[in-house]
Amino acid sequence: MTGTRSRRFATAGGVTLVLLITVALAAPLLAPYDPSARVGTPFASPSGAHPLGTNDIGQDLLTTLIFGARISLLVGIVAALAATLVGTSIGVVAGYARGWVDAAVMRLVDVVLALPVLPLTIVIGVFLGPGLSTQILVIASVIWAGTARELRAQVLSVREHDHIQALWAMGGRAGHVLPRHVLPAVAPLVVPQFVLATKTAILLEASLAFLGLGDITAKSWGTMLSLAQARSAFLTDAWLWWVVPPGVAIAVTVLSFALLAYAFEERARPSLADRFGGSPGTADLRSAVPGEPPTSGGDPLVIDELTVAYRDAVAVDRMRLRVAPAELVALVGQSGSGKSTVAAASTGLLPAAARITGGRVLVCGQDVAALGPEQLRSLRGDRVGLIPQEAMSALDPVRTIGDQIAEAVTAHRRMGRAAVRARVGELLSVVSLHPDRARDYPHQLSGGMRQRVVIAIALAAGPELLIADEPTSGLDVLVQAEVLDLLDGLRRRLRLAILVVSHDLPVVERIADRIAVMHAGQLVEIGPAGRIRAEPDHPYTRRLVEATPRLRLPEAASR
Amino acid sequence: MSRLRRALGRAGQYVLVLVAATTLNFLLPHLAPGDPVTYRYGGQTAALTPEQLDEVRASYGLDAGLPEQYWSFWAGLVRGDLGVSIGYSRPVLAVLAERLPWTLALVGVATLLAFGLGTLLGAVAAWRRGSRRDVGIVTGVLALDAMPGFWVGMLLISVFSVELGWFPSYGAAAITADGAAEWVGVAQRMVLPVATLTLASLGSIFLLARASMTSVLDEAFIRLARSKGISERRLAVRHALRNALLPVYTNLTLAVGTLVSGAVVVETVFAYPGIGRMIYEAVIARDYPLLQGAFLLVTVGVLAANLLADLTYPLLDPRVRRSEAVEAREPAR
Amino acid sequence: MTPVLALRGLSVTFRGAGGRVPALVDVDLEVAAGEMVGLVGGSGAGKSTVARAIAGLERPDSGTIALDGADLATLSRRQQRDRRRQLHLVFQDPYTALPPAMRVRRIVAEPLVIHGLAERDRRVHDALAAVHLPPERYLSRYPHQLSGGERQRVAFARALVTEPRLVLADEPTQMLDASLRAELVDLMEELRSGRGVAVLHITHDLALAQRSCDRLVVLRGGRVVEQGPTHAVLARPAHPYTRALIDAARRLHHTA
Repeated sequence: MTGTRSRRFATAGGVTLVLLITVALAAPLLAPYDPSARVGTPFASPSGAHPLGTNDIGQDLLTTLIFGARISLLVGIVAALAATLVGTSIGVVAGYARGWVDAAVMRLVDVVLALPVLPLTIVIGVFLGPGLSTQILVIASVIWAGTARELRAQVLSVREHDHIQALWAMGGRAGHVLPRHVLPAVAPLVVPQFVLATKTAILLEASLAFLGLGDITAKSWGTMLSLAQARSAFLTDAWLWWVVPPGVAIAVTVLSFALLAYAFEERARPSLADRFGGSPGTADLRSAVPGEPPTSGGDPLVIDELTVAYRDAVAVDRMRLRVAPAELVALVGQSGSGKSTVAAASTGLLPAAARITGGRVLVCGQDVAALGPEQLRSLRGDRVGLIPQEAMSALDPVRTIGDQIAEAVTAHRRMGRAAVRARVGELLSVVSLHPDRARDYPHQLSGGMRQRVVIAIALAAGPELLIADEPTSGLDVLVQAEVLDLLDGLRRRLRLAILVVSHDLPVVERIADRIAVMHAGQLVEIGPAGRIRAEPDHPYTRRLVEATPRLRLPEAASR
Repeated sequence: MSRLRRALGRAGQYVLVLVAATTLNFLLPHLAPGDPVTYRYGGQTAALTPEQLDEVRASYGLDAGLPEQYWSFWAGLVRGDLGVSIGYSRPVLAVLAERLPWTLALVGVATLLAFGLGTLLGAVAAWRRGSRRDVGIVTGVLALDAMPGFWVGMLLISVFSVELGWFPSYGAAAITADGAAEWVGVAQRMVLPVATLTLASLGSIFLLARASMTSVLDEAFIRLARSKGISERRLAVRHALRNALLPVYTNLTLAVGTLVSGAVVVETVFAYPGIGRMIYEAVIARDYPLLQGAFLLVTVGVLAANLLADLTYPLLDPRVRRSEAVEAREPAR
Repeated sequence: MTPVLALRGLSVTFRGAGGRVPALVDVDLEVAAGEMVGLVGGSGAGKSTVARAIAGLERPDSGTIALDGADLATLSRRQQRDRRRQLHLVFQDPYTALPPAMRVRRIVAEPLVIHGLAERDRRVHDALAAVHLPPERYLSRYPHQLSGGERQRVAFARALVTEPRLVLADEPTQMLDASLRAELVDLMEELRSGRGVAVLHITHDLALAQRSCDRLVVLRGGRVVEQGPTHAVLARPAHPYTRALIDAARRLHHTA
């Protein structure tokens, strides 16, 4: 989707640009007249001889327009080349060297970036006098800084990549690392930078020429507009053939560069739809699909023959599972086994590229796939709470804890302020946090505390079902056990049905009533936790259980 | 402690830019080929005898060494002495003070409009990235951004002033009007320049807002907020847009620079009596002292806008308000 | 006998926007030839910083890092580089530690290029064979064509190719699926016993450490709080933090 769009943008930009450059190169062949010759009466309207009329001294405007492409493109491209070259070298050196070199260079870059571009070019341009080379110099000298800043940022981030750090750890020197690893990594970014610089340079040239700072002997599109302005052409009908064409020419040129730059940028940033391309293996275990008979009972979560596909790749294949009230079921599998897709499908939060192609998910008796957006919304939070991965970044950084919990409380119920505040305090106590924490922002809390807040949010509207996707990922070992114990306690106290998704079998086997094992999109085994651990049926489960190292403690250490 | 150091660091940054701009301003006439006096007097030096030229040099202190000149240049600045305009034969400062309010009004209104409109469009486009609506908005804004500001202005005049006659095409105030009519005249004459300036500066803000919104929508906290069952509108405004604003706000620098540059050409097209039009006139008349003064003023203005954004940023981001600085994220342009 | 690695009073401070944060304080640590030492602790304890300081990626404020008895700080740059050839750092995330646009052959040969060593093909073959990746099948693959476990094996092959005496393994199993962790630890054990490579194994997983390490060093808040033979530390933890770690591991691992 996005791929084809960025390709279409790139094609449109590229084709236009090639056309423009061809026109510029072939100007003497294409133009009907000599650009400096006075070939008609001044201010002539368009006619067969002069399709765009003539200017104030009788020169053919079409000829001027065609030759103008040469100057506009020349100034733009040469200035951008110079700026990109200088900016890239400076940015790469500063980013790689860091320390005082970087500090000094970046101060300079900041200064140049903080100066207003056009007034700066005007002032320099006026003092250096008119002329093409002056213009190129002036434009290049103000736009290199943006490229330098961008490249430096890129090099700084490349520096932090593990594979570059690994080279240093191996003893690699700048002479080895910079040309062989850092430059190739940032090189793809130089192209869009150059394209952007060209776009800026062409617009700047037009503005300078318009203000009368262009080379009057080499007329660019900007110069044409400057003359049109000076002769007040835009106050007469002449605007149609004197003002519109050069402006359109500039806009089309700049747009073609912008489209190219945009396409480059989009390619570097794949959209959500493109990111979930991973397909699980296709090992056929179908004959042995265990699972549970579909029960119509009042279980909060019933997954029945669920099949989910990303485009053509099947991520979840005829999955069956149910979770009863006060039951904690762990869904275990490797990355890519489809377990997170099951979790997402159960809350109606599948990524856009995924589709349920078969079976159904019943949450509190309602078929999630059959619900409209509004019904789904009223289901979420109210009946089913979600604890997503990445506890460290799951809270909105600019809102207080209390605000975020309160939002979850009031999403489904109208309540007075005092009641909301009381409920927020109560929820914080439930997850063993002090009610005063409501006033804090997420960055003031540790990872474990944030995960408790996330759990409080999931509990806010009093759901019957909780889905926790890797609830301990990213947490300190000491905190992991606490969070799991908290979940375990909650389902007993609140009779919650909980589905915990995890890649770590030992982490969940202590608190789970039953364990479901997924592999390559299919459920390979499900059963009581003790049985799965003691005598796994499926070979894959057996491998999983046996491969897991466990702490063996001598008697002395156990309590 | 470290907050103070950070604040001092930022202050130092501003002082540095100011000093650099001022020094550049001082040096430019000296870097240019020929004699500064030639520049001070434009093309009129031919009429002067060598003796008279020397006299002029001495009267401007140009016979002194460069360091001394630099020193007296600064001393003059501190006294508010920016020299005398050649074209107006009046102190540069006085000319600038007369023109400044018009530009402030123009740029101020256009900044608010461009910021609001650009952010809104960027957020709307990013909300369903890759959709028809997104492609449409992006193409439209990119096309708009590709048009030179002065050209947009010329077209608006041709269409709305000449062909339709809705708005006056030049000036800032009606000449013969007072009371309410005067204000109506001022407002009427602001419409087209403000529209031009807004349209011409929309692009960079839009692209920034769209990129920022896109990355915010990928964040885990958006997923959590959605799982609460709140409305999509609330999610978009209170969580996504609110966070997406942060980098847009910190990068206001770029936008203000664009706007000021835009003001120069837009005021020229509309013969608007602000600093921008004055710069154009100074270029035509080769009024160097005025040009230098204007450049200095514009730089100070841009820096002041940045300083304002800097000082008010903590109101938007609690992370810098209370604890140690978190570098604001800057997505690639 | 001189230890392969000896840290004495090593301190590292991070300077950030928020001021100076001590990352390591006065760390003493030794790894003898052919020994596997487990460096354990919670997140933020400074485990990775120890490895990064030894590999020269962080600059210590004070203290010494000695390789085979020679204090690195007293050596010339050239000598330092030669010494560092004797150690290799394996990163946590096999998905980011290998350059994405290079084939396995070049990736594994990189340390040889950096140190100007000859017989590259033979050494690369040997190293891949040592990590049980048949060279003929893997040499011309790209990292994205490998599984996580295979990538981490390639990382170990790169570590072995200069025949170092010490490998620093920074949570090498962290990003792998649970079922592959033990396999990798067994591979490390095999390299140690078969090739006599000493290993500093950084991990937060006591069960993994118990499986392979001769000695444990417990780090908390940048300080060493306890160290000793693995069985002794696990059986009779002296420091409350060590006890807390063991307790957490027991709860997580369902070990009665």
